[in-house]
Amino acid sequence: MTINEMSVMICDDSMFARKKLKDYILSLGVAACYEAADGEQAVDNYKEYKPDIVFMDIVMPKKTGIEAVKEIIEFDANAKIVMASSVGTQNHLKDAINAGAFEFLQKPISNDQVLKLIEMVAKGV
Amino acid sequence: MFAQFFGSYLLNEGLVTRQQLAKALDDKKNTKTRLGVLAINAGYMTAGQVEFIHQVQSTVDKRIGDIAVEMGFVTKDQVEELLSKQPQDYLVLGQTLVNNNVLTNAQFEKALGDYKSCNSLSEDDLNGDKTDKLDKIIADFYKVEGTADTARYTTYLTLLLKNLIRFVGDDFTPLSASVVSDANYENTVGQKIKSDNTDGYTAICCDTDIYIKFAERFSEEKLDTADDFVNATVGEFLNLHNGLFIVNQSNEFGEEMTLEPQEFVYKTAVSFDKTTIDVPVAFSFGTVHFIISNI
Repeated sequence: MTINEMSVMICDDSMFARKKLKDYILSLGVAACYEAADGEQAVDNYKEYKPDIVFMDIVMPKKTGIEAVKEIIEFDANAKIVMASSVGTQNHLKDAINAGAFEFLQKPISNDQVLKLIEMVAKGV
Repeated sequence: MFAQFFGSYLLNEGLVTRQQLAKALDDKKNTKTRLGVLAINAGYMTAGQVEFIHQVQSTVDKRIGDIAVEMGFVTKDQVEELLSKQPQDYLVLGQTLVNNNVLTNAQFEKALGDYKSCNSLSEDDLNGDKTDKLDKIIADFYKVEGTADTARYTTYLTLLLKNLIRFVGDDFTPLSASVVSDANYENTVGQKIKSDNTDGYTAICCDTDIYIKFAERFSEEKLDTADDFVNATVGEFLNLHNGLFIVNQSNEFGEEMTLEPQEFVYKTAVSFDKTTIDVPVAFSFGTVHFIISNI
């Protein structure tokens, strides 16, 4: 898969955080970039769009990012979910990995980190 | 970060006004630190010697450094050493105040000396952000009666000021903190921090024009109305800062805290039942209040 064929989903309750990440991801030329503003929407949108990679915040209303990861993994065990959160505490790291996230980024996240992960998923690593 | 506290010291001593300081903070990005200020700071020349050299320079076409060496005030090596170092931020601030005719060289020399001695700072301490000295300055500066865990507040505030420099700008002056029972500003973004033994609350408060400017700085975008995007931007700064704080606490003390989604309040006072401090930070575009309760 090339980056141009990829679809990405960004889940963050902050409109600002979503816009910043989306601006960068769209600049890479991905095929589609979906958004979700809470954990519930993240699960629903994943089921609908099946994005190739998901960037997931933790602290969100309705359903936390960790809960959303669990439900997405139940639905699709191969989902590629990256936690992108301001709260990379020991417990959150453990919970995220146990829930099935494959990477954890502590905010502020850099464009380079995002690019590396997208390339990795594109290569099918 | 010493520049910000040096600015605050000048303000508290009545040596500069709020407006003069705000202007200097705004102007300092264009300031080149001159040899005189560097030499005063290093203790190689007195303000009197610097003034004398400036007078001499107005009559002859020579560089200040060369005149200073000829006069025997400094050695050639000292001049080279001074000019080779990247000037510290507090010196750039001092130079700007001298350039703006707010302070004379002599007043700057005295203020700097007094500031260093009252905080027991050596030249080495001021080079870089040595955390032990900085922690002490911050702890002394924000000494507030009634806050249960001083070390924790100091850690929180030190990180806050660093994050402001990193993500918003270094053109600010920390003002003295006070205990408050409510916060009544046009805009308040609050976030709860919880753990097994804390039920804390933090917030950023300010009036709308300042709120928009703060969001512009953090988002690096042009913004003109306090809409949902501006709320989300200021909220994300608070979330980012609180996140870095609880990650540090988790890594250093194994203490696990969690954050809750932010709450946005417009033109409504928020009151507190636990000990709460208001930490005002005066940016060149206005004063932003950081509220910290029971963290």
